[in-house]
Amino acid sequence: MPEEVQTNDQPENREAKEPQIGVYICHCGGNISDVVDVQTVAEEVKKIPAVKVARTNMFMCSDPGQEMILEDLEKESLDGVVVASCSPKLHELTFRNALKRGNHNPYLYEHANIREQVSWAHHGDPAGATNKAIRLIAAAVAKAVRLEPLKPIRVEAFPHAVVIGGGVSGLTAARKLSKQGLGVTLIEKSPYLGGQTAQLNQVYPTEEKAEDLLRMLVEEVVDDSNIKIYTGAEVVAATGTIGDFVVRVRNVPGDTSAKGIGLIEKKVVFRPFQGCTVRSDRPCSPGDELEVRCGVVIIATGFKHYEPRSGEYSYGESPRVITLPDLIKLLSPDGPTGGRLEIQGHPVRDVALIHCVGSRQVDGIHEPQPDGRVNSYCSRVCCTATLQAANEIKDRFPHVNVYEFYRDIRAYGRGHEDYYEKASGKGVLFFRYTPDSPPLVEKTGPNASRPLKVRVRDTLTFGEDLEAPVDLVVLSVGMMPNDISDLVDVFKLPVGTDRFLQEVHPKLRPVEMAVNGLLLAGTSQGPRDITESCASAAAAASKAAIALGKGYVELEPFVAQVDPARCDGCGLCLNECSYEGALRLTDIEIEGKVERKALVNAPLCMGCGSCAAVCPHRAINVSGWTLDQFDSMVDAIAAQ
Amino acid sequence: MNTQTIQCDALVVGGGIGGLTSALELADQGYQVAVVEREASIGGVMIALSKVFPTLDCASCITTPRMAAAAHHPNIEILTCTEVKSITRDGRLFAANLMKKPRYVDEKLCIGCRQCEYVCPVDVPHEFEGGLGARKAIYVPFATAIPQKAVLDAENCMLCGSCEKVCPSQAVDYFQRPEEIKVQAKSVVLATGFQLLPKDSKKEYSPPGSLNILSALQMERLLSPHGPYGRVIRPSDGKVPDSIAYVQCAGSRDKSLGIPYCSRVCCMYAIKQAMLLSGALPLADVTIYYMDIRAFGKGYEEFYENAKAMGIQFVKAKVARIAEDEEHNLNVRVELMEEDGRVEERAHDLVVLSLGMVPGCNPEEFVPVMRDDDGFVKCASPKTAPALTDQPGILVAGTAAGPKDIVDTIAKAGAAAMEAANYMRGLELDLSAVTEAVTGEEERAAERAAS
Repeated sequence: MPEEVQTNDQPENREAKEPQIGVYICHCGGNISDVVDVQTVAEEVKKIPAVKVARTNMFMCSDPGQEMILEDLEKESLDGVVVASCSPKLHELTFRNALKRGNHNPYLYEHANIREQVSWAHHGDPAGATNKAIRLIAAAVAKAVRLEPLKPIRVEAFPHAVVIGGGVSGLTAARKLSKQGLGVTLIEKSPYLGGQTAQLNQVYPTEEKAEDLLRMLVEEVVDDSNIKIYTGAEVVAATGTIGDFVVRVRNVPGDTSAKGIGLIEKKVVFRPFQGCTVRSDRPCSPGDELEVRCGVVIIATGFKHYEPRSGEYSYGESPRVITLPDLIKLLSPDGPTGGRLEIQGHPVRDVALIHCVGSRQVDGIHEPQPDGRVNSYCSRVCCTATLQAANEIKDRFPHVNVYEFYRDIRAYGRGHEDYYEKASGKGVLFFRYTPDSPPLVEKTGPNASRPLKVRVRDTLTFGEDLEAPVDLVVLSVGMMPNDISDLVDVFKLPVGTDRFLQEVHPKLRPVEMAVNGLLLAGTSQGPRDITESCASAAAAASKAAIALGKGYVELEPFVAQVDPARCDGCGLCLNECSYEGALRLTDIEIEGKVERKALVNAPLCMGCGSCAAVCPHRAINVSGWTLDQFDSMVDAIAAQ
Repeated sequence: MNTQTIQCDALVVGGGIGGLTSALELADQGYQVAVVEREASIGGVMIALSKVFPTLDCASCITTPRMAAAAHHPNIEILTCTEVKSITRDGRLFAANLMKKPRYVDEKLCIGCRQCEYVCPVDVPHEFEGGLGARKAIYVPFATAIPQKAVLDAENCMLCGSCEKVCPSQAVDYFQRPEEIKVQAKSVVLATGFQLLPKDSKKEYSPPGSLNILSALQMERLLSPHGPYGRVIRPSDGKVPDSIAYVQCAGSRDKSLGIPYCSRVCCMYAIKQAMLLSGALPLADVTIYYMDIRAFGKGYEEFYENAKAMGIQFVKAKVARIAEDEEHNLNVRVELMEEDGRVEERAHDLVVLSLGMVPGCNPEEFVPVMRDDDGFVKCASPKTAPALTDQPGILVAGTAAGPKDIVDTIAKAGAAAMEAANYMRGLELDLSAVTEAVTGEEERAAERAAS
């Protein structure tokens, strides 16, 4: 057996043929070449026997750069390509795709990072940086010599999507996907559809009624035979990969308002501040579970409002200190006062609106939350929402005095600035404060005309200490992600330092997550308004349609592979594997003898390499990243 | 005039990051897409930027792959130097008349070797460098241009013939004529983008003869590692500036210019440039005069806080006037809205105007969609389906529907692609419904005839 293994060892064969490698060194428009002497690097690298050509280019990722590689592959009959440029996270795929375009195996490619790891890290030491670049490229060449052509893993894509969250984003994503003929299962934890939009009365800047928007969205989704809706339901487990997930859903335990999961009645009832109810006509008992098979999962789990601490601007201490969502309710005809601006049974005469409560918090000034962090981000919607409320008060109750306490007015969107201007025109008074001296909300004495006063050091009047007597204080609370720690565990979702879900690239790939097949929609990713949520939901739907439309998806082949000749079935690798179903022990028959060997389920393997690290016989390796390849890289770095 | 006819599923107007994203999304879904770009290269404004906020990724590094991906996609055809003359509804389809302007270089023959550029004796200010660097009368638009083909600027060419003689592939063609291209498409995505308000729009900020007042896009080029000077110096005398001022809302939130809206990106790009300047010129003072700092996107507020910690001066002030003396030093008259409200004259070596966004073109001139009061394309349901225009089948992506940063442009471009796909799917279903009805009718007629 060992002999057989030797003869099958592809790298040895390739070495025997003396593979010819092309090396391409990028200037990155100066990002690299201002520090690293790329010409010297090219000359030194050219001395490595396996290197057939070594060239430099201003931008390897540009079209001419890519064309240069493809030309050389033909003319110089190269067996492998090394590009030394920026981080592989940016461009490894670019160059693999270029190889593919030229009908070459895209895995005969190795990337050396000489920007983030060299020119940026050692910009004060050009000579050292140049030397390091040469060593890193030598290592990449050593690996390239031992690369083997690989094939992507093809997985059949199940033409169905699961959308988690029944707010505007989830509803939009579901509907757009279903229109492409794909099946959708919409899962909503609460008994209602509509999410936070149901908390609103009118939406800026169109002043449409939130109820009308929601009704339209919900009715479309409910009438859609491609979409199954489960309210009062939650995801408890999930297995699989892009193309073929199995998501386990169960009735939210203890939720008696929900009739259970099942088909729904096609009658939509809107309940103010709650949402649209859709009733199940096939009740089942709490705790019931069902499994949904799907190719992609769209996470649209939304946000919750920041809950001010007790005592923050006297919140919780005085019933006259409320949040902006409370004010919106108060102003609504469906609210507790029927739309009259009253607090504690008396009409409000002076109201203070305080911006940035639970947003733009500064470390060392603001008290951290239970998790030790402050909300350092801007919540994006509160400025315009607050201005909208100020305008409504001034329109409906012209004698009420409105004071706004702000840091910056961020009325950035189309039509938002109008609210700011109109509010000023209607006599709303603006005070600007800095985070280190926020407004103080205090109770007044028994003889005062108003029960509360807001004191502020107003920077617009050059630091004057001003006081506004009021009978109502409204806190413009920011957004925080809903608590989805269960989903984060189930799907291993990446979370950012702001606690919102993290996209792959904040500029160019805003709706994808690092886990293939999981997509982001709406405020689960960060604060945004309805317009922006719906845009991101439709963008996520587009990505889902791409993944499911072809009928299959291709996964990277960098997965563990077992050499049965070396595996003795000890099972150490199984203990290390953290991906359910990716690795198991099985009996296989070899030359009439039944032996126990490790077996990899390729689509479920994430190629982490934990198994390879513990195998005492080097019997398990990650394709494209084998131990032999690593050895040769280390040798090459040390040899230079 | 030669007329070429192209049939496709979706016609994308504009080859910037928004248009390319929509095109790629549709092409990946299997639709055939044609992208029309009036410039000689795709890439839009983004490819001219230095770095992007808040990641500080190099803009070329993240734009070129997307440009290349679109250019090489089997389902995408890219038409550069091409303008849309008209798009009209033609039954269930759209008929577009395009005009391919002469490049005076045969795109099929040109190999992008730039020999022509090296021999051309004419120097002209380079538009890509904001007029700061020079280019030749025949030139490849910029280092990362796609296609990497030369273009001849007939207005400045003196017909000396040098380029024609040196061209190794006989690609120079002085006699090229405009070509007409007809496109039949099922849907249209408008991604016509924005332009910055011209620098001289506000006369208080553009004294005659001024050289050291730059637009933010000019500063982007100065900050680019491969920019016109390779470093940041002031255009008038090559001096390394010690003190740089940013004037925010120079052409946004300004009714006197007819631009009452906020341009959304200027605060962030000013902060980004200020940070890059602090890196490039560690001794320089950078001051940002602003009305409100609108750092509202993901990670933006944190970026703003970092900038403050780096020592960038943020001064809440309205700039009343900028003057430039004979030495081209600048005097900025500001009303300090905090501190004590005094009016001050402040000296700076260089001033950057954070100019606002205005529409890239007037789409009403060639396509039957409505514009809003702000001049950008009107959205039919701005809240729940922001990519829809008032015309079914015509979608809008990116800044064509109002100022937006790159990430919002990309989200909206994805949404436009999804809406376009939904619309085309609807067409197919309608068609099959019609066919079924017709076949049913025919069958019944046949049955009647038989009985």
